[in-house]
Amino acid sequence: MELTKLIARRAVQLVIVLLFVSFFTFLLVRLLPGDPTDIIIPFGTEAKKAQLRSDLGLGQPLYRQYIDYLGNILQGNLGRQYSSGRPVSELVAQSLPVSIQLMIYAQLIALLFALPLGIWAAYRVGSRSDAAINTTGFALLALPNFVVALVLSYFIGARWKWLPTGGYAPGWLDPIFDGTRSTDIGGHFNYMLLPAITLALGQIAIYMRLLRSDMIATLKENFISMARAKGISNLRILWRHALRPSSLTLLTVVGLNVGALIGGAIVVEVIFGIPGMGQKITLAIFSREYIELQGYVLVVAVLFILVNFFVDFLYTILDPRIRRGRSAT
Amino acid sequence: MDDLRPDAIPESSGSTSQQIVGESIERGFLGSSSEIALAAVETGPEGEASRKKLSIGAWLAIGWMGFIILIAVLAKTGIFTWGDPNESFVSCARRGPFSQEGTAANFILGCDSNGRDMLARLALGTWTSLYVAVGAILVGFSIGGLLGIISGYFGGKTDTFLTGLFNILLSVPGVVLALALVAFLQGSAETASKSSISPEVILIIAIGIVGIPLVGRIARASALSWTQREFVLAARSQGAKHRRVIIKEILPNVLPAILSISLLGIAIAIVAEGTLAILGVGVRPPTPSWGNIIAADRGNLFTSPHIVFEASLMIFLTVLSLNMLGDVVRARFDVREGLL
Amino acid sequence: MSRVNRIAAIAVVVGAMALTTTGISSASAPSRAPQQAKGGEITFGLEAESTNYCLTTAQLAVSGIQVVKAVYDTLTVPNSKGEAVPYLAKSVEPNADFTVWTIGLREGVVFHDGTPVDAAAIKANLDSYYGAPDAPNVGALIPRVLGFVQSVVVTDPLTVTVTLKTPVSTFAAYLYLTGRMGIMAPAQLNSGDACKTNLIGSGPFKLSSIRQGEATVVTANPSYWQKGYPKAAQITFIPVTDGAARTNQLQGGQLDLMHTSSATQIAALKNIGSVNALTQKPGYREIAYSVLVQSKGTTEKVFGLETVGADARKAYNTALDRKKINQIQNQGTFTLANGLMDTKAPGYLKNAGYPKYNPKKAKALVAKVKAGNGGAFDVVLGTTTDAESSKLAQLVQEQLGKVGITATIALFDQATLINKAISGDIDVLFWRNLHGGFSNSSDPDNYPWWSNYNPESGAENLINFAHFNDPATQALLDKGRTETTPAQAKTTYTAYNKAFAKGNFITPMWYVNWTIGSQKSVKVALPALPDGAGKPLFVYGVLPVIGLSKK
Repeated sequence: MELTKLIARRAVQLVIVLLFVSFFTFLLVRLLPGDPTDIIIPFGTEAKKAQLRSDLGLGQPLYRQYIDYLGNILQGNLGRQYSSGRPVSELVAQSLPVSIQLMIYAQLIALLFALPLGIWAAYRVGSRSDAAINTTGFALLALPNFVVALVLSYFIGARWKWLPTGGYAPGWLDPIFDGTRSTDIGGHFNYMLLPAITLALGQIAIYMRLLRSDMIATLKENFISMARAKGISNLRILWRHALRPSSLTLLTVVGLNVGALIGGAIVVEVIFGIPGMGQKITLAIFSREYIELQGYVLVVAVLFILVNFFVDFLYTILDPRIRRGRSAT
Repeated sequence: MDDLRPDAIPESSGSTSQQIVGESIERGFLGSSSEIALAAVETGPEGEASRKKLSIGAWLAIGWMGFIILIAVLAKTGIFTWGDPNESFVSCARRGPFSQEGTAANFILGCDSNGRDMLARLALGTWTSLYVAVGAILVGFSIGGLLGIISGYFGGKTDTFLTGLFNILLSVPGVVLALALVAFLQGSAETASKSSISPEVILIIAIGIVGIPLVGRIARASALSWTQREFVLAARSQGAKHRRVIIKEILPNVLPAILSISLLGIAIAIVAEGTLAILGVGVRPPTPSWGNIIAADRGNLFTSPHIVFEASLMIFLTVLSLNMLGDVVRARFDVREGLL
Repeated sequence: MSRVNRIAAIAVVVGAMALTTTGISSASAPSRAPQQAKGGEITFGLEAESTNYCLTTAQLAVSGIQVVKAVYDTLTVPNSKGEAVPYLAKSVEPNADFTVWTIGLREGVVFHDGTPVDAAAIKANLDSYYGAPDAPNVGALIPRVLGFVQSVVVTDPLTVTVTLKTPVSTFAAYLYLTGRMGIMAPAQLNSGDACKTNLIGSGPFKLSSIRQGEATVVTANPSYWQKGYPKAAQITFIPVTDGAARTNQLQGGQLDLMHTSSATQIAALKNIGSVNALTQKPGYREIAYSVLVQSKGTTEKVFGLETVGADARKAYNTALDRKKINQIQNQGTFTLANGLMDTKAPGYLKNAGYPKYNPKKAKALVAKVKAGNGGAFDVVLGTTTDAESSKLAQLVQEQLGKVGITATIALFDQATLINKAISGDIDVLFWRNLHGGFSNSSDPDNYPWWSNYNPESGAENLINFAHFNDPATQALLDKGRTETTPAQAKTTYTAYNKAFAKGNFITPMWYVNWTIGSQKSVKVALPALPDGAGKPLFVYGVLPVIGLSKK
């Protein structure tokens, strides 16, 4: 079937991109000037440094080092955090679910607000409520995550004391990555709500504006007028006829947004003291744990690529135009 | 019904399925909201985008930008200063218009936790933030633009290679890439020698590199569509040299597409500088930048909120103005129409 | 058809997401332990996190020592009179000339893994601490501290004899080493790299889990040797690096206890009516100071120049308006220090002879230095990336600038900063530490910060960050170590404090008021030490945890 062929092709592309990205992270450490071991463990004893040199395969030809690196990654070995001797993969298992949950909540909150607002604004285009929604959205776009985080933690956290300004309790995903954890859903949402809202605010604006302009165009289409003429209720037209074509645009942007979400999550985690990947990445940078950092960059990049691949995949299935385009060729 | 979905990039009206499918992986973002505005530039049809007279909002935005540029230049050159941004006053430390410790006399905007005049620091901070942002945009736009044009114009293997390069850069989320770059650049600068690169330049390079693939993609798309136009084909068939065709025919047409997003780019870079400062890799103290001011006194948010809020307001108003002007410029150039 | 599929697919995706959320959340209802031990579960907010808990190699600051205190016991502890008294050890007795120390152990004490705290275990620990040949996990710093140890011998199952190369009358205090010298089970000590994270002690609490950046959980040790202790069932140490956030979380009830050394946060704690604030009393406080680095390898730097180095150091010390810095950064609440020790430590002087702030004099000295140094007086101030430290550096930079010293600030993480100080890449290091001995056990050089740095003679003392080499102070240090009565020790260390000030090797800034903030429901009790040895001390910001409990 043609579709399978298309997907297979994308999968090959995926593998190539993954290879290049792993090469890129591999180079990050190898390109450090001088003896990388002096930079990675300046206090290490000679024995420790020799150990690290052999871990990194320094002294071997570059391609050989890369193949070894790749082999280690495939076995789930991302190296060690040198100060504690902990495997980086263990640190990833502890912090990754935290970030994923944060991003999922932010995404859900954003869609929950953006969908009705965007539709409403498009439906009442030109009205006062449309203008208000649009202006708010525009203003939100100009608010960086860190500003939102600080403003919310000042008012909601410190002044009104509605929600805690920091801390973490494990949620539903943590035990899956790390069997020793037990879930504390109440505490989890108590801690995650404020950061998730922070992260969602910027996204709301994006989705809302996108949906609005997309739907305005759709609502001008003939089939909408036809539906109206048939006497179908407005609500039904909006939800069933007008929203559907826009859902694809939305899907694309949701996928694209993952990159922005990851970036936003890093800042939000640091400000709210959430023990996710963002906090780990910044700590690794400060403590010059280059091997650890390399592992995080790789994990984040691979996830980002996989999410985009998944979105592409959905897109391929969902968009009739692509399938038609394919059958035409 | 197929036409209902707005085309994401100019050439996609005639694009193949792969190109459409490929879009998503070929774009990545720094993580700021306004960056998504950049995405919206490409995806949103903004039917009402108009050639009307400038709105009041746009005039205000121009006014604000003129105002802060003036302040920045004055503060940097010292033609007119608001006092020494690095001098501390015991009487004023942590006090501001709304701090718990009472209002500071003689300092309109109060002082930071080291007792330094916020007005003077914000003024010089404006210079630093704009300097880093504009510098980064120049790096990103010149390199990204050039690579994009080459990629779109020559096509074939060059295109495959450069697009691949963009994709790799884009597969690491912007903030992570910038952080990693700063970390490794700083690490290298330290080991290299005493005459290390200044933190501002490191930031410019890091943010600039993150911008390269973003701009590169837009430039490539634009160059690709122009390359297929009759007058370019004609010039090429008459044996004109590639360099001449690129400079004479392609560049002038691609430039508006790139320039129209430069204002948004500056907004993104301002936010990026702030983000990196919060994450602890900003410009070196005591040099103030907006992000730096926030990062230094984030810990005093609950007792002396004015420090963080004043700098945040500067960022907000500036990014808002740039976004607004970016919209106006885009409508004026009417990039999309011009390309199709 | 296509449209239906499309919608269906989206619905499936969204539905699946919703399902995972609700499904799992309903499945995993509240998992609070049904019966809590009467001492309660306590959360303790720390200012930083430590990654290496292998005590022989670790470089622990207050936060790390606080955790270590829960899991490990030290052979001795200080009591409220400032004496180092036996703790995990039953007795610590010197011979007549303080060269042989006999450590007697308690019967029946076991580590968390069930193995006995016997003479063999103590010998293994001491061997690794002082760096006996072939001992596992020997660190870089502590062997220098214990350089005077000759050998450790097991004399019977519960007795260890330590022979020293030179008489050290304060050896009992060394066995505490500001809380750093906990006794590890041989299983931990011998576990190679895992020693850093595989904590097995004999202390009141057992390690339950460490999640970096999130929490270190310890639970009560039911077979603890001090009957009736610990009181609390569990302590969760949470690193909250942002000081304001820590205070806010205490106020919001997410933390039961926290520590802070920031004057702003101490003031904030005292302003909150709903929590208690316990500030450490004067006596044995940390001292904040700047170190003036004299050399890079064998090359002299401006503070170490043979010709004008002494003037350069004096210029620095004269240029600093410490009162102003204290007012800005600490709201004037910290006490300025003018010597190496705090009030109760032997040798304390209100002013050991450091120069007073005098910009005019400083300018003259700067001119002299510039004349003798090709017109330049440029220094690099090294500080950590932490906002408070960087702001301190900026205040210092401003004041140096006013007298003509050009200062640049360089920010590093803690480990790199130390590295830069050792390598001499920076000129000024802002530092604070726990030093100055106890009243009867008195070595101010209990961590060899002040022992000479003399690479030529082989005495390359790496943590003498200032890299000074001063026979006069070294002689007094050596003499103090052998003093046998408190009165003699006091005389010697007073002379030492004065001699040290003369060199302007450092600039003492102020004493740090470590403060513990606690919920009213938390009882911060300091139970009496075993064997009638008196009350324990809350010193150096480290709170004894065995008596903590929560209603």
